[in-house]
Amino acid sequence: MLRAWFNRQGKTIKQIWPLLPAAAYLLGFLVIVCAYLIGLTFSTETSPGHFLFPSMHTLSTIFTGKQFSKALINTVAFVLVGTPLEIVSGFFLAIILYNSFKFRSIIRGLFLIPLALPALVTATLLFILFDFPGGHINHLLMGKYAVFPQVISHPIDWRGSRFFALGISLLGKAWRDAPISMLILLSGLNAIDPEILDAAKTMGAGLRRRIWHVILPLMIPSLSAVLLLRSIEMWKEFIFPFILAGKYGLLGTLIESLYNDWGNSNQAAAVALILVLCIVFSTLLFLWVMEILKKKVLKV
Amino acid sequence: MPLAKSSFLKKRAKGLVWVASILFSVALVVVPVYLLVKYSVSDSGSINTGGAPIPLWPYAPTLRSFTYLFTESQFYGVIVNSIIIALATVFCSMLLGVPAAYVLGRYRVPFRRTMLLGLISVRLFPDISSVIPITEFFIRFGLQNSYLGAVLGHTLLALPYVIFIGMSAFESIPSDLEQQAQVMGAGGFTIFFKILLPLSIPGLIAAAIYTFLLSWDEFIFSYFLLGLGKISTLTLFLRQKLAYAPPQNLLAAISVFISVPVIAFSLALQKYMTAGYTSGSVK
Repeated sequence: MLRAWFNRQGKTIKQIWPLLPAAAYLLGFLVIVCAYLIGLTFSTETSPGHFLFPSMHTLSTIFTGKQFSKALINTVAFVLVGTPLEIVSGFFLAIILYNSFKFRSIIRGLFLIPLALPALVTATLLFILFDFPGGHINHLLMGKYAVFPQVISHPIDWRGSRFFALGISLLGKAWRDAPISMLILLSGLNAIDPEILDAAKTMGAGLRRRIWHVILPLMIPSLSAVLLLRSIEMWKEFIFPFILAGKYGLLGTLIESLYNDWGNSNQAAAVALILVLCIVFSTLLFLWVMEILKKKVLKV
Repeated sequence: MPLAKSSFLKKRAKGLVWVASILFSVALVVVPVYLLVKYSVSDSGSINTGGAPIPLWPYAPTLRSFTYLFTESQFYGVIVNSIIIALATVFCSMLLGVPAAYVLGRYRVPFRRTMLLGLISVRLFPDISSVIPITEFFIRFGLQNSYLGAVLGHTLLALPYVIFIGMSAFESIPSDLEQQAQVMGAGGFTIFFKILLPLSIPGLIAAAIYTFLLSWDEFIFSYFLLGLGKISTLTLFLRQKLAYAPPQNLLAAISVFISVPVIAFSLALQKYMTAGYTSGSVK
């Protein structure tokens, strides 16, 4: 019996050994990331080259600093505004592609272009377009082109204020990533039985009613998937605010600033750990709310 | 009659709104990309207009920004670095990823779901969070500011994708083929190299191209692992230029240079992915 067990195990190992190098590589790095994040967060430099572990000093320094609270508020606002913005724009594009019309596949290909552009390139493009005092956007809003009315009389320093700097970062992020939401929502739309929509149409429901009372309720699974995935991506965002928002940063850019500008790897790791915990917490909260909503919908 | 007319007008208005929505969405996507290309071929007079509106097409289109880039000696080095790091990343990712994808795609591995979760778990961390510990680790072992460090970092990012794309490529091969080969006396290595690997080539090429592109336009890991030191990649070069606020046509030219292969390969990749992996293999 024991021999049979050993034979079985031997066969399994013989089968799975090619998997081991990749598993060791990825899991090894996972251990390194976790160990260093915890090690750096809970240690403090007492004298050059000497560290005290465990210590809450790094965390307490971060929590008492104004920089962290500002970055946290910015990040939460970024997630709360950016996630719906991305979903609404993705839904708009998906609704367009859901209908069959001439050149549909070409339009679909065009909608996917932003996804193919590297994030750094998109950020650079916005850096150019939202230039101050020149730049296309300022010229457009100042009514210098015949196609658009004058909205402002003086050029706006887009990267010079918190509101506008984070706003254009959000625009860039939403512009680049909306096709991802579009693809997921389009697959959700395609999964809806066309007979249900036809029935609603026959019974006199207009487009708005069909969207609110038929399409949206049936799309709850794909909508919740997009909501979860996109909100996680919003928490993770780094490149757009790094290039466009400068000092009005998010948690991601605070990590970079602490590490590269201040040379404080302990505080950078602490903020990095807090960012991970924020994502875990918001994901759990989201899943909990979705579970409650699901139960309520089932009851109704 | 008036009812029919109003219904016709309503239908017409709906059609117009529909066309306007499509045109608006297309413009929203295409115009920024057009402007990027426009800036890259703009002469300085079309950018510094002295208060006059920036033209929608340059007064005197020129490729001077591109030629300037190629006269900069640093630029060649940057391209070569990007290619070396991307190719080495493809090599390492495929070397580790293809055997793993083969096992996960063809065998009943115990705790398969847990194992898959374990394999992607390091990618669940935000890049900016995982790069700090990795940089610290690489500094300790002298791997920062080295090709090897960058390649190891990029491989970490690409490997889960290679495993997942490769896994679906191996999964899609009918098991009948393997069984028939076994009946005819073929061993494990022969089956892998002569039957499974050739059939999974389209999927593996897609994984390799994806890995190359991921490394080509990767920024966060390159920025921390290479810094703005001796070894620079295209994305770091662009970042370096951004910091010194150079002419916008130069920034646009670098951006176009980085994007063209990504867009071209993305379209090719899409074609590859849709091609049937096993078309014609079983009759």
